Amino acid sequence: MNHFSIRTLCGVSALVLICSSVTVAKAQTATSRIVSAANIFLSALDERQRQSALFAFDDEKQRVRWSNLPVSFAPRAGVSLKELNAAQRSAALALVSSALSRRGFEKVEQIMEGDEVNKIKEGNNPIFGKDLYYLSILGKPSEKDPWMLQFGGHHLALNITIAGERGVLTPTLTGAQPALYTSNGKTVRPLGQESDKAFALLNALDENQRKQAILSYRLADLVLGPGQDGKTIQPEGLKASAMNDRQRAMLLDLISEWAGIIHESAAVARMAELKADINDTWFAWSGPTTATPGLNITAYYRIQGPHLVIEYAPQRLGGDPSMHVHTMYRDPTNDYGRGIATK
Amino acid sequence: MNTRFVAAAAIFLSLGAGAFAHRLDEYLQATILSVENDRIEVSMRLIPGVAVSSIVLAGIDTNGDGVISEAEQRTYAERVLRDLSIMVDGKSTSPTLVSQKFPAIEEIKEGLGEIQIQFTVDLAPGGPERRIVFENHHHNEISAYLVNCLVPRDPSIRILSQNRNESQSFYQLDYAQAGGSSDPSTLKGWSTVRGSMGAVGFASIFRLGMRHIAGGTDHLLFLLALLLPAPLLALGSRWVGFAGARRSLLQILKVVTAFTIGHSITLALAALGLVRVSTHPIEVLIAISILVSAIHALRPLFPGREALIAAFFGLIHGLAFAATLEELGLGRWERVAGILAFNLGIETMQLIAVAAIMPSLVLLSRLRSYSVIRIGGALFAGVASVGWIVERLLHVDYSVDVLVDALAHHAVWIAGGLFLISLACSLKPKLLNTQPPPSRCPGEPRRFARKLLV
Repeated sequence: MNHFSIRTLCGVSALVLICSSVTVAKAQTATSRIVSAANIFLSALDERQRQSALFAFDDEKQRVRWSNLPVSFAPRAGVSLKELNAAQRSAALALVSSALSRRGFEKVEQIMEGDEVNKIKEGNNPIFGKDLYYLSILGKPSEKDPWMLQFGGHHLALNITIAGERGVLTPTLTGAQPALYTSNGKTVRPLGQESDKAFALLNALDENQRKQAILSYRLADLVLGPGQDGKTIQPEGLKASAMNDRQRAMLLDLISEWAGIIHESAAVARMAELKADINDTWFAWSGPTTATPGLNITAYYRIQGPHLVIEYAPQRLGGDPSMHVHTMYRDPTNDYGRGIATK
Repeated sequence: MNTRFVAAAAIFLSLGAGAFAHRLDEYLQATILSVENDRIEVSMRLIPGVAVSSIVLAGIDTNGDGVISEAEQRTYAERVLRDLSIMVDGKSTSPTLVSQKFPAIEEIKEGLGEIQIQFTVDLAPGGPERRIVFENHHHNEISAYLVNCLVPRDPSIRILSQNRNESQSFYQLDYAQAGGSSDPSTLKGWSTVRGSMGAVGFASIFRLGMRHIAGGTDHLLFLLALLLPAPLLALGSRWVGFAGARRSLLQILKVVTAFTIGHSITLALAALGLVRVSTHPIEVLIAISILVSAIHALRPLFPGREALIAAFFGLIHGLAFAATLEELGLGRWERVAGILAFNLGIETMQLIAVAAIMPSLVLLSRLRSYSVIRIGGALFAGVASVGWIVERLLHVDYSVDVLVDALAHHAVWIAGGLFLISLACSLKPKLLNTQPPPSRCPGEPRRFARKLLV
């Protein structure tokens, strides 16, 4: 009884704190909001949980401990939603959502929900589920000094570096299988925009541009997936300097599907940087140039610029490449905020 | 054989439904090249899918003790390097192994293991424009390749172009190195002039032709199945005794030549763009051609007209060769030289294969027990061809390639063993099929009896 009431108290106070933090959010900067959400989350944990959630900011092993694989194949560290009670879990999700835009958090929820669909479809297979996502904090949540927030599991790896008012989302992996499912009677495509906007851009290119954009070879997978940090490959395809204004706008809009996952003020800064780079940004496509309306494309594409690598790689695994995709979002000059965290 | 197919199919069906995470039926080989001033640093990541891991592991854990020893790691890494062919400015160059890193054997079995191999290729001083050709033949049949180069750290090195075939097993990198003439416009003009045929290189297309036959087991299987009964005489609906060494050799020569003429015609027509056929029906027809020659090896379908059949199906195989040549993306005039190089490569490899197997065939076909080899070979080709037909028609994957190639991988040993057996057997005269064929078969065509007397 006693135990129960303490739990309830914790839960209620956490909720009150979250609500109050939301109400004062308007007056706060994004970073202070994230820092207070992080502190609320950490204080909601018990000592053992807190120990497992916290890492040193320069812990290189933890930084790269992410993958597209389910957690049983590629174990993550940190604290999983599964081992949290309801109040702790909502504090954890409040922290994640504080660092993301509304659209970004929705995408994350849809990816996690997709894993729940897998679990149900696979007869309660314990390797899947929306609670098998791990949260970790590298360094001390601070409004001045750099620190990192990681959240991920199967088909998801968010690596968010906060340094003062700046926020960096690279490297981040998103993926989806199933890439289409129904939830509460609604059709959900977690990475549907990533597919549809790219296909629209391909179709907006003229014959000559398509010749340059479409690569003559197959790409079986991500080139710069998990573990491939710090590499800048030679760009290929169609350079956006050879696009017209409308096509460039479409390309930027496509890029925003990744760049816009992070909270609004960081996203605005990031989009400004990418827009300044746009003429040095390349678009390359490999695979089918047709798609079934309402389904994801089955082609690979890559967007690469001086501060950007985006890869979209359909996976044959499961039989239908339109139902399974991995994507990668990187900034070769600033993965894990290395470019800003040292300054 | 059949049970192996069923087992493979079962694995695929069960994985197809349930496997979400790991690589499945291909061996992913991702290579990244980094061009430095005096060398190229190359790193390879090799990730065997769960369904092909046993094939890959057989070549790693060679003593099969379930542990990948240091020696086995090194041996395997060296084998991978041997399976590459690297050309620097048209000269074959051998790589130097730097390091290798292996995952636990269990991870490889689950399709989660990543093997890492690092090596360097030393560059002798060269001109202002250089060309690296990187070809990967390691486990060609089961692999998916990714090849890229990094943006050079050295600002005096500038990447000009990257060219690949469709599967990325062939990769060509052109780059300019400042020091000589570095005006981009003159460089570009020079490159186009020199580039046209040199784009891929006569020698490398020749080798591509050889590899195509060596790796494209379906072409060889067709030819070998057709050659199986070549030393024999047909009698009605049966194959009977040895036709004599001279006649056998002549027959083999005729079949091989006819096949060559057939595929040369269509290869030339298709490569010059005079004929256009989509590859998919061709692939199906090739599988059917193997089935036909396999049945013919069991029971004579077209005795005496093997050469004609070889020429006819040669026409079809030629269209498939053209598709391979197409992948290189050569221009129209480069193609003329390309066709020649490619065809010569095909011919050379074909002759090597035939030369390796012909003595054994002629020797063995004098034995009564030759029918075991003939029927065994025909059944193998038949089963494989049916597998291919089903795969190619229904777009399913029973990994027929994987199974056939597993056998083809030991082709040298099989051919050698066959030759030794044939030598040993031919020393024992009582095994020889000296009995004349039964002469009173119902419906026996006279001409065969007459031929026997000649």
